[in-house]
Amino acid sequence: MSNSTTTDVDLVGDEVTLNIARAALFAALMGAFAYVAFPYPLSPAPVTLQVLGVFLAGLFLGPVWGAAAMVLYLVAGAIGAPVFSGGSAGIGVLLGPTGGYLFSYPLAALIAGVIAHRGIGIRSLTEASVTRLIASMTLAVAVIYGVGVPFMWWNLDMTLQTAIVTGAVVFIPAEAAKMAAAIGIIRSDAIRAE
Amino acid sequence: MLRYEPGKSIAHRLDPRSKLLVQGGFAAAAFAYTTPRGLVILTLLALCVLALSRTAPHRVLWEFRFVFPFLLAAPVLEGISLDGFVISDATSPALASYRVLLVLLVAGAYIRTTSVRDSRAAIQRSVPGRPGQFLGMGVGFVFRFLPVLRADIGRIRDGYRSRLGTERSVPVRMRILLIASLNRAFERADRFSLALRARCFSWNPTLPTLRFSRIDVPAIGFGLVLFLAAVYGFV
Repeated sequence: MSNSTTTDVDLVGDEVTLNIARAALFAALMGAFAYVAFPYPLSPAPVTLQVLGVFLAGLFLGPVWGAAAMVLYLVAGAIGAPVFSGGSAGIGVLLGPTGGYLFSYPLAALIAGVIAHRGIGIRSLTEASVTRLIASMTLAVAVIYGVGVPFMWWNLDMTLQTAIVTGAVVFIPAEAAKMAAAIGIIRSDAIRAE
Repeated sequence: MLRYEPGKSIAHRLDPRSKLLVQGGFAAAAFAYTTPRGLVILTLLALCVLALSRTAPHRVLWEFRFVFPFLLAAPVLEGISLDGFVISDATSPALASYRVLLVLLVAGAYIRTTSVRDSRAAIQRSVPGRPGQFLGMGVGFVFRFLPVLRADIGRIRDGYRSRLGTERSVPVRMRILLIASLNRAFERADRFSLALRARCFSWNPTLPTLRFSRIDVPAIGFGLVLFLAAVYGFV
């Protein structure tokens, strides 16, 4: 053992501690959402709450800590936490066909947060108009698919057309339902996070 | 489920950093040599890695079954045309899909042979400064709280199932589940941060010592050769 003294201990500030705890819990919640699938009539693939988790990270934790939570989620999954779709894990998933969607999560959370909070800081979400919230989520979805589809195109060596059909068109109807659910939650003031 | 299992295999005794290097090198080589010949060699290497970590290939494949639809869809959709199935169109997506499978096998071996504490120490020693410390502690917390939050969600779902909540529309069910699970997660985060502060939560806790040993030399050599081969293949 090294003989460390109390003067060596570098304490984490109170506010940062709360933010680290929230970011970690949010990342774990994203992982737990991977196991919850809803059958959705318009979409051939089951709908999970994960993309919704990306919006909500940006909205509730703010752009910086929301993006940090997503980075934690990816790193934890890469080293073996069963947090990716269907409870899988490992660097292989990040380099697999769906890796692009996962890599885009931190950026999408950042963008959703910056637009909803009008900058890097955190403002009360009740001040944000519905239009602003919809804009923030639409851009986040655009980022997720904008990174995810080309990645799949490259990864599986398919034509762009096939990539767009298998990687985006089949999932789009469900995204609208998720945005509606997210706005319902934020507007209802049901979350006691602020 | 595929997760860390203590053991005495060679892969268990390696330093996590050399295992990460091998994984990265293997993935790079797989993307550089996506040819039938390259993939045959990489398949043999992947099987060697699995043997050295005493991990059964079928367990890893079963773990990653969710990727199979994507892997199959690419060659099938590319091959189908109005004149029937064109094999030449399906070949390169099929090779690409197989390459992903090999990368998953090697990643599975890492997961089975590396403990969370070791991975955390490897991250914190590889990424310098506050970002590395944040990633190290945060990843530890994610592992700690994942089962707790999964149990929370399970209880919430049991609750609404018993009240016939399953009869409601999908958006309403999503909203109920999200509100309840987010509230619980934030409550837990508040209590957790209080507990951390009470225990002098610091940026620099004592980490397990990581030390390269003699058996890491061939592993690091193997990883570097894979990386160099990948660079050579791309150039």
